[in-house]
Amino acid sequence: MKFYYFHLMPYHMEHDESSSWVTLSNRHYDPAVGHTLYNQYLDQLEYAEQLGWDGLCVNEHHQNCYGTMPSPNLMAAMLVRRTTKAKIAILGNGLPLRENPLRIAEEIAMLDVASGGRVISGFVRGISAEYFSTGINPTHSRDRFYEAAELILRAWTEEGPFPFDGRFYRYHYVNPWPRPIQKPHPPVWCPSQGSSETVEWAAKRRFPYLMVFTPIKRIAQIYGEYREACERNGYKASRYQLTVNVPIVVAENDAKARELARKHVMWVYNVGLRMHPPFWRPPGYMTEASLRRLLANPPKLPSELDFDEAEREGYLIYGSPATVRDKLRVFSDELKAGILCSGMTGPSHEQTLEMMQLFAEEVMPHFREDAKVDETAGVGR
Amino acid sequence: MPDSQELSVRGTPVQMLRDGAGPPLLFLHGAGGAGRWLAFQDRLAKDYTVYLPSHPGHGGSPAAEWIEHISDLCFHYLDLLDRLGLERVHLVGASFGGWIAAEIATMASHRLESLVLIDPVGIRVDGWIYPFLFGMDIPEIVGTIFQNPMAALALAPPDQSIDTLALQYRQGTALARVSWNPYLYNPLLRRRLGRISAPTLLCWGAHDRLAPLAPCGETWAQEILGARLRVFEESGHVPHLEEPEAVAEAIGEFCRLRQGTR
Repeated sequence: MKFYYFHLMPYHMEHDESSSWVTLSNRHYDPAVGHTLYNQYLDQLEYAEQLGWDGLCVNEHHQNCYGTMPSPNLMAAMLVRRTTKAKIAILGNGLPLRENPLRIAEEIAMLDVASGGRVISGFVRGISAEYFSTGINPTHSRDRFYEAAELILRAWTEEGPFPFDGRFYRYHYVNPWPRPIQKPHPPVWCPSQGSSETVEWAAKRRFPYLMVFTPIKRIAQIYGEYREACERNGYKASRYQLTVNVPIVVAENDAKARELARKHVMWVYNVGLRMHPPFWRPPGYMTEASLRRLLANPPKLPSELDFDEAEREGYLIYGSPATVRDKLRVFSDELKAGILCSGMTGPSHEQTLEMMQLFAEEVMPHFREDAKVDETAGVGR
Repeated sequence: MPDSQELSVRGTPVQMLRDGAGPPLLFLHGAGGAGRWLAFQDRLAKDYTVYLPSHPGHGGSPAAEWIEHISDLCFHYLDLLDRLGLERVHLVGASFGGWIAAEIATMASHRLESLVLIDPVGIRVDGWIYPFLFGMDIPEIVGTIFQNPMAALALAPPDQSIDTLALQYRQGTALARVSWNPYLYNPLLRRRLGRISAPTLLCWGAHDRLAPLAPCGETWAQEILGARLRVFEESGHVPHLEEPEAVAEAIGEFCRLRQGTR
């Protein structure tokens, strides 16, 4: 299995407001604290490479305390020059949120060239709340996503200049300099929440599918749908097309890990993902079919998850190194996921670094039968 | 009880309620008003043939993918008039329906006996930003729209079934397609209001918190030549629901005096 270190870059805080997104006032953000946090978080990502993680992941979110990375490409740029081996996975850029998505083609190509071909480019729609922070019409979300993706892929692979005349994006001259170094283009990943339309779209293009913070039963179901879709498209999914993202806490024993997980991981769900209900469901963001599917089996709001449930359903993994190894077997052997994206949170920066080291020394080596495999060969393009 | 009809308007299916006798009056509903035949419509139907179509994507009218802009809805309603064989109508629109009605009047005042706008949105008003209903939960929306929250019960959904929730989502989607950004207005409309030549009545709730009388109602009154402004003291954004008798009375009277004068 391949290990990618995933960072949200949260601004940890407690508050009584109804939403950690969109409306939580930025008066709560102290730039001096932010300065320390950004640098610690980047240190953690750089340290992950030293410890043997295969990839480093950043992502885009806006106007919240859950993840303070409105521009993931900036963070990726900082990592490119401070690392040498690890893949830099941007999970991803919110394509429909851009007025000029050609800028994404340009920025990813810059990173790819500067890094010597280590970039993985995630394409996402942005979560629901993002449509409140950016003003983009959520009823256009899906169509803008498809159109921007087509534009970016063509910009990377076709010799310019060429004209592009879409419904949302129009150019007389598509001709970005630089072109990406990876051929035909950097691998594209699709982090998503499991809508059947996206599964089909990703499978058709061999784009790896990534489930973020999802209960294990649902991961299994969506993986099944993805594999079927790949077969419908005439090929068998590689295990490196299936990625899971789950927070992990590892400590010297189960009891200590449990305590840390209860305190630090649950914040992500209970506070970080606390959202004023209308922000979960902007009009037209989902198809009516997806909405009906959701309503027929409504998932619990993250802010209402309790620890036991989160553990039972697989929203997080904690334990001694031996326990964590056993739990990861479910992902590697049963779900047959090829890549584990995972961030770690300890009570302090130093303790987070120690936790990472413990994981790298006591857990990771037990899953390294594929150490020589390049997980990006033949997938994502 | 009104008749319910299914029509095809240049290929777009429409569900429409109709009742009454007398000169034709087309009522364009606001968000949440699709298919709601209430005291207001009953009162108007005593003197007029009242047509109440549901906008595409609202109530019993399925969503129409081709509708992307507010002007698409205007052409849709001009097509509906043709489909019904109505050369001229009294056109009454409330809130979002008022926006559509005003757009129609800027294009085709010659099809209107008169124009009545009830707390319309649709123009950019200096010094005012419409509160963002899409970001509100139900209690916040009710507090913004209604002066008398009891009047909101008339629009309350029958249940919380999947079908009901899916219908509400479809309605919100149809509304958002044409009004998310710019929110609830067409930047080009305000200047065009000067083209309206149909006699115009503006009905306004004194306590409208979505589009307040000052500055919104006052701006409309300035921009439409000769428009009359009637204020309803007990109402918020939806006087036709909050004071249905008084509003229907005022509209009936206004339309009666303009009948056949153009």
